[in-house]
Amino acid sequence: MARNIPFFAAPTYLLLITALCYRVAADGLVNEEVKRTVDLSTHIAKITAEILLSNQGDSAVHNFILAVEPDLAPHLAYVGASVSDFRMNLPFPTHITQAERQLVVFQGNHYLYSPYPTRSQTTRVRLASKTVESYTKLGNPSKSDEAIEYGPFRDVAPFSEDTMKVHYENNTPFLTISSITRIIEVSHWGNIAVEETIDMRHTGAFLKGPFSRYDYQRQSDSGISSVKSFKTILPASAQDVYYRDEIGNISTSHLQILEESVEVEVRPRFPLFGGWKTHYIIGYNLPSYEYLYTLGDQYALKMRLVDHVYDDQVIDSLTVKLILPEGARNIHVETPYPIDRIPDQLHYTYLDTFGRPVLVASKNNLVEQHIQDVVVHYTFNKILMLQEPLLVVGAFYILFFTVIIYVRLDFSITKDPAAEVRMKVASITEQVLTLVNKRLGLYRHMDEVVNRYKQSRDTGALNSGRKSLEADHRTLTNDISSLQARLKTEGSDLADKVGEVQKLDGQVKDLVGRSCQEAERLVAGKVKKEAYIDNEKTLASKRLELVTRIDSLLDTL
Amino acid sequence: MAEQHTAADGKHKASPNAGGSLHGNSRTNAVGGGGGKGGLSGGLAQPAGWQSLLSFTILFLAWLAGFSSRLFAVIRFESIIHEFDPWFNYRSTHHLTTNGFYEFLNWFDERSWYPLGRIVGGTVYPGLMVTAGLIHYVLNLLHLTVHIRDVCVFLAPVFSGLTSISTFLLTRELWNQGAGLLAACFIAIVPGYISRSVAGSFDNEGIAIFALQFTYYLWVKSIKTGSVFWSIGCCLSYFYMVSAWGGYVFIINLIPLHVFVLLLMQRYSRRVYIAYSTFYIVGLVLSMQIPFVGFQPIRTSEHMAAAGVFALLQAYALLQYLKDRLTKQEFQTLFFLGVSLAAGVVFFTIHIPIIASVSEHQPTTWVSFFFDLHILVCTFPAGLWFCIKNVNDERVFVALYAISAVYFAGVMVRLMLTLTPVVCMLSAIAFSSVFEHYLGDDMKRENPPIEDSSDEDDKRSSGNLYDKAGKVRKHVSEQEKAEEGLGPNIKSIVTMLMLMLLMMFAVHCTWVTSNAYSSPSVVLASYNNDGTRNILDDFREAYYWLRQNTDEHARVMSWWDYGYQIAGMANRTTLVDNNTWNNSHIALVGKAMSSNESAAYEIMRSLDVDYVLIIFGGVIGYSGDDINKFLWMVRIAEGEHPKDIRESDYFTPQGEFRVDKAGSPVLLNCLMYKMSYYRFGEMQLDFRTPPGFDRTRNAEIGNKDIKFKHLEEAFTSEHWLVRIYKVKKLENREPLEHKLRSIVPRQKYTSKKTAKRKRGHIRNKLVLKKGKKLNKK
Repeated sequence: MARNIPFFAAPTYLLLITALCYRVAADGLVNEEVKRTVDLSTHIAKITAEILLSNQGDSAVHNFILAVEPDLAPHLAYVGASVSDFRMNLPFPTHITQAERQLVVFQGNHYLYSPYPTRSQTTRVRLASKTVESYTKLGNPSKSDEAIEYGPFRDVAPFSEDTMKVHYENNTPFLTISSITRIIEVSHWGNIAVEETIDMRHTGAFLKGPFSRYDYQRQSDSGISSVKSFKTILPASAQDVYYRDEIGNISTSHLQILEESVEVEVRPRFPLFGGWKTHYIIGYNLPSYEYLYTLGDQYALKMRLVDHVYDDQVIDSLTVKLILPEGARNIHVETPYPIDRIPDQLHYTYLDTFGRPVLVASKNNLVEQHIQDVVVHYTFNKILMLQEPLLVVGAFYILFFTVIIYVRLDFSITKDPAAEVRMKVASITEQVLTLVNKRLGLYRHMDEVVNRYKQSRDTGALNSGRKSLEADHRTLTNDISSLQARLKTEGSDLADKVGEVQKLDGQVKDLVGRSCQEAERLVAGKVKKEAYIDNEKTLASKRLELVTRIDSLLDTL
Repeated sequence: MAEQHTAADGKHKASPNAGGSLHGNSRTNAVGGGGGKGGLSGGLAQPAGWQSLLSFTILFLAWLAGFSSRLFAVIRFESIIHEFDPWFNYRSTHHLTTNGFYEFLNWFDERSWYPLGRIVGGTVYPGLMVTAGLIHYVLNLLHLTVHIRDVCVFLAPVFSGLTSISTFLLTRELWNQGAGLLAACFIAIVPGYISRSVAGSFDNEGIAIFALQFTYYLWVKSIKTGSVFWSIGCCLSYFYMVSAWGGYVFIINLIPLHVFVLLLMQRYSRRVYIAYSTFYIVGLVLSMQIPFVGFQPIRTSEHMAAAGVFALLQAYALLQYLKDRLTKQEFQTLFFLGVSLAAGVVFFTIHIPIIASVSEHQPTTWVSFFFDLHILVCTFPAGLWFCIKNVNDERVFVALYAISAVYFAGVMVRLMLTLTPVVCMLSAIAFSSVFEHYLGDDMKRENPPIEDSSDEDDKRSSGNLYDKAGKVRKHVSEQEKAEEGLGPNIKSIVTMLMLMLLMMFAVHCTWVTSNAYSSPSVVLASYNNDGTRNILDDFREAYYWLRQNTDEHARVMSWWDYGYQIAGMANRTTLVDNNTWNNSHIALVGKAMSSNESAAYEIMRSLDVDYVLIIFGGVIGYSGDDINKFLWMVRIAEGEHPKDIRESDYFTPQGEFRVDKAGSPVLLNCLMYKMSYYRFGEMQLDFRTPPGFDRTRNAEIGNKDIKFKHLEEAFTSEHWLVRIYKVKKLENREPLEHKLRSIVPRQKYTSKKTAKRKRGHIRNKLVLKKGKKLNKK
């Protein structure tokens, strides 16, 4: 009864495992054949073990226990079904110059650390380069170009340990994210804003001595372990990507939009040598329909708890802040792995009144395998969507209303009755002026009518024109006199002047009438042309005189 | 009607100054008859609301145009603080917003002027920081989460809108509404003002011009009304100006000058007395509230003119009072003349040295006048002439403003800024009058001239804009008579010409803004032949490296130009910065830069320097680098340390400053030279030039084999623009070799003894010193 059982994930329960181990050993499980691969080609050690397991006991086995060496346990970042990531590569020497290559020591176990006895096992170590300074020689391992083969070891007892030490050259970027704060802000208006604040350092061998730009530019292998740039893969729908720090946009970045992702070539302002660090902010927007699911008032947000920053990433400490819309209630979170929740906060941003709930969580020691989805369920009353537009409308309403109030009402401390009367008089005189002007306009219109009559000799048109003049004139005159009466009641001396204007206007009217008659007589042939012209001239001059007087009166108004 | 209004106005005012208002009446009427004619926008005046709507729209558009034309830098680059001083302002504003106002006032900045430090709270004009901080605070109170950097970047463009509004108000007071609108449009886009107020140029001048114009508006208003209310408003605005910019001295001299000239012109009235007395006393007290100004207003010479005019005004008022009692006319006039002449002499003798002391910059060239003001510089004398022709109290003011500003601008390029507003106003007046004459024909039917004085009276007495009674005065029947006898062709040609000038002005403004004034100077850009752009971000690269990868308390030595940027972007302690308050400290840095390495190391050790930062443009041909500024370092160092540094040592015998082989050996071995060209001798930039060819100075460097003993290269930016060197600590004394071990103790003992003995032996010392001195001479 031999089965190939994959590992089951046991992230941090090491103590439990050691306590149980003897009882477990009695179960009769035996590792028939183990193929371990230690991948040291990057800055993290990935240990994969393929285990052929047989149950030699009587009863069925439901559990399989994976043990981790006590020394390694603090460095363990992730255990998956096929891979476990350790951060056990230590640079040695710890300080190198720009021209030197980076050498790294890996310390591990030759054997699979297991609570079960092992029949046969091999360990294959994959290296980053051909150059190996030294390695432990247990069982006469064979070394090929970039790999060392140990074993096969036969019949290894449970919990057997034997230190394996490999000292080799590894120039892959030893980048570590010392802290990352990921803020996800959900808006029900269709947008999810993501912003990551990243502190990053080069945890390889420290740079010793000067940094020479000349060498770095002119010699290809100078500063070979330094990091010039790396790629961050963002979701395909990411928009408005920004990459900046405290002093502004980092202009050295490039963005490439691919079919399935958006790739940002993150190039820090300066190349990162051993021990150097940098700090930046990267942010982007996502359409919410890809991540936000809704059913009635129920909402579920499914987002990556932590996202890709660079390949084989290592994160020392992660803080995630999930900002939900204002008014979200009954929040509960499903995380793919245990994560420390920090008490919720409130966040205020545009047009908020009572604050948006913020879920805060933190976790230490993460690797690429931790890029998994978190699901947040909450309820949200859709009516609350109206709150923000209404707030804006209300604010503008109040603004306009106050302006209206301010303009319409008099807020002066001292009452000035004279000024009020003056204002009233002013408005009346203004009306008078327009009316008088209109009336003068009528006369000019009449002149035109008369001229046309002189040419066309159409008496009907003349009469109708005269009639309309009479009618309009009467209404205008009446209006003016009523205004004059109002002026009188206000006690203004302007009333007299208006009266004078009226008088003068009457004379003008007469003159217009006379010129009209003259024209009729001319047409009828009762007057000679020369006489008519003379008459017309005197009439015109009289009229002009009157109009000037009216104007001068108006000016004094 | 106008009389009626002004008369009522006189009643409306406080009764004690009835005499003043009478005086005012006759004057304003004279103005109305002679000068101000209808506004451009007056054509639609039938319902008065149209006019206010139109002016509101024009002002709004002017604001918008002014704001958007200042955004070139933001659009081309990013929202970033520009140049040098703004970085300090930004840093202080940041400090203000994070630590609060009182903490800011008490801020002792130990990160600058190491080891002296700087009392920032007492040595800055806090107006700018407080304004930005306040805006940020209010926005955050409303939950508008705007970063303080964005507030700082966009503050100047926003204030340019306020400037154009206050210019509109001032010009309306001086002439009429149409001219006001034109002036608002001019100032919104004129390059002379844009140069100091593009987005990102977070500097005092950005808000100070608004404060200046607004103060002048309120001053004109208070001198027109003689009301304490406007005077107090003027004082508050003056207070804001004092808190914002050192240029407040211009106000505190121009206003007394105005009053003084009014007195000389026999235009004294109670309004002048009230306005100036209030302004001087309240303004003095308020201005002394700014820590940086302190007691200067009663101690320094540039404020004495104001005090003198104040005393003179009191004396004059007393004489006026006595005149009613005693009728000794001759005596009094003699007295008046004597006093005024004395005061005038005092005024001008005091005034000139100030200008001389301020004018450290070079005088303005004619080209830059045209470049910054374009046609306005040609038209503003016309406006000035119009103002003088129809003179009244406030036009005296603008004339004085114009004359003094022209003088200052001629003396010093920087003061072009104070000239710009008045040029805009006067040009607007000129254009407005021309348009009235030449654009008026088709409008005249409905729009005869409007008398501005009555317009103002209306507004003042009725208090709102809806009442425009008295304006609509139509001589319908008489339009033919009013013609000036100009043919329509001439009119349209002149109008077209004017419009074309204005159009060219707008084009020029945009061009200048885009090309000359919209570079952040922190980020450089170069264009390839195919139009693509390369951004050279070396400054920020190096500063950010300092910020991230040096000790938090590391001390960085650099020439003072970069002090503010290092403090702002790298957040590291600097030795000297753009504040330049301590010349000897700057000289010490200059001495370190211009000495040889070991001498410089002594200085740097004594100053605790950890890093040295220099700017080197030889790789990309950037001309503003430290080698080009080097002679200034030498000169300043020589000023303080004439024994050690001599400028002539850095020149070739022919008196040339050369970096190639012919250069003087002192230059080729000084610290600045070595730091600039370290390993540059190996670098071949292209195949036509030899290795070590400096593109900025077009020369092959003379010293290619540069070795450092006490320094090491810590960082060099991508295009070598910024180079940072680390000052090594004193080395551990090397394990002494067998020879030395036996000798050293003896030497020590003997040397001590001889030192003590030598104190007694004068002869030896004297001999040694004599030899040296003789050599020097």
